Amino acid sequence: MTMLEARGLGIGFGGVRALDDVSFAVREGEIRGIIGPNGAGKTTLLNVICGLVRPDAGEVLLAGEPITGLKPNVIAGRGLGRTFQTSQLFRGMTVLENLMTGLHGETRAGLFAAAFGGRAMLAEEERAREKAWKALEFVGMERFWDRPAQALSFGQQRVVEIARTLISEPKVVLLDEPAVGLSLNRLAELDRLLRRIRDERGVTLVMIEHVIRLVMGVCDRVTVLQGGVVIAEGTPDAVIEDARVIEAYLGRRVDARRRAS
Amino acid sequence: MSRLLGRRTLLALGVAALAAVPTFANPYVVFVGNQLMLYVILAVGLNILVGYAGQLAFANAAMFGIGAYGTGLLQVHFGVPYYAAAPAGALLAMLIGLAMAWPALRLSGLYLALATLAFAQFTLWVFLHWESVTFGAGGFKVPPPSFAPLPLPSNLGIYYLSLLAMAALVAIAWNVVRSRIGRAFVAIRDGEVAAQALGIDLFRYKAIAFGMSGLYAGIAGALHSALLNYVSPEGFDLFQMVLHKAMIVVGGLGSLAGSVVGATTLTLILEALREFKSTQEIAFGALLLVFVIFMPDGIVAALKQRLQGWEEPLRRVRGRPGAAAGAEARP
Repeated sequence: MTMLEARGLGIGFGGVRALDDVSFAVREGEIRGIIGPNGAGKTTLLNVICGLVRPDAGEVLLAGEPITGLKPNVIAGRGLGRTFQTSQLFRGMTVLENLMTGLHGETRAGLFAAAFGGRAMLAEEERAREKAWKALEFVGMERFWDRPAQALSFGQQRVVEIARTLISEPKVVLLDEPAVGLSLNRLAELDRLLRRIRDERGVTLVMIEHVIRLVMGVCDRVTVLQGGVVIAEGTPDAVIEDARVIEAYLGRRVDARRRAS
Repeated sequence: MSRLLGRRTLLALGVAALAAVPTFANPYVVFVGNQLMLYVILAVGLNILVGYAGQLAFANAAMFGIGAYGTGLLQVHFGVPYYAAAPAGALLAMLIGLAMAWPALRLSGLYLALATLAFAQFTLWVFLHWESVTFGAGGFKVPPPSFAPLPLPSNLGIYYLSLLAMAALVAIAWNVVRSRIGRAFVAIRDGEVAAQALGIDLFRYKAIAFGMSGLYAGIAGALHSALLNYVSPEGFDLFQMVLHKAMIVVGGLGSLAGSVVGATTLTLILEALREFKSTQEIAFGALLLVFVIFMPDGIVAALKQRLQGWEEPLRRVRGRPGAAAGAEARP
């Protein structure tokens, strides 16, 4: 079953076509990599999918339903999670509070219930806390539950952010460069974590990534963007051999180096 | 639970102390105590909007004024009794606060500050110049509310009404900021994009924050009109706004305890400098500068460093699910 589909997405910023006729389909349970040189339009693509930017052409379907043009919070409620290039944990909260905020769409208490602290509302908070705790355990971060988000290392913040997205049980999670700045050890952990998210949680993942090691290891298929256009798609092994992809990334320097050595 | 009880006890002790004041203090002290309670309401309301939801709004004094004018004018022009006029005035301030969430969806930071400041100045202009309704610069007298059949003179009636309102509003604010609504506020403050990505509706929660803050200021205004039996524009000017802002900055942004501490500190300074009216503004300006530069997290941050258990959690209960609240020692 197709879980996430882009059909002919296009958007221009003042004459520059940041995305042009971008189409792809991600199967349920797939881990899809999106690669491409800087400025290829990868982050713009994620922003369009999650509703932060409205496309001027094409549409996005989540589990078969169109979500184009909906507000980001509505799209999130439909089951689309997202992490960001730089950590977007809420600085003024602890780790557990951050995770509980991830449950916003699932909890229901309105202003009056909150103001007067009714029993149903307290029970809901307790359930939210339990869920947050389980999500922390899933990523192995429970011993940091009461640390301020700011006190965590870069890699830890990344993992907590992923957990915060997972907690609402989304169908699809978009990850924007989850491996940036991670050490090799951390990279292996991230690789395992992403597989577990897919296998144990059944979440479909779409990730922008520059770290080829991770892409080769974990992605089922890879879509290559250049200049806002999809130039290749296929398994990581096939894509990496693709002449257009090699040219997009490396141009002619490959030949020059070969000759020199 | 001990920590939670500790805080509740502290609130109860504060309320009890304030309740006892009129039994031994002279009318002047009672008046200052009443003023203090109104400032606590104002500071708590403003802190929800600025400190928690992160909306840099400058219209709190105007909302305070709208509550006072709404209450007073309904009584004077239409003979509405205080008990109907006061809630109406407070609700009016809340509605105008709600309306302000709309521009706040598009504006942020300095632009929002300027827009709300312009609104505040406009409100003041209406108070001053729409003379046929607002009685202009001179203001107008408001009949003192009667508390019959309770054996209370008007000033003590207002004192206890303020105490009741303050205790209820602080408790409500405390509950709200620890709920999912409080987390949504802080999420919007710390990162609007991430907040949206988690399903938080920016407009809804900005509206709740503006509405709550407007309601708090409006209630304070309604009580203020009855406290002074007099409403005039000068009580709701820029100085008043700076005063509210100074309270939450000095006490601690994003902290309810900070709002109370800040309101108390500044009310006392205000009274101490009462005889030197012209020095008040300089003193507040200097105080604000000192805190912004040297203690940006306010008095409460200093308290937190020295006293254990002064954190104000956004979550209701601490620690592992199922475990007794607070039973787990902090690492």
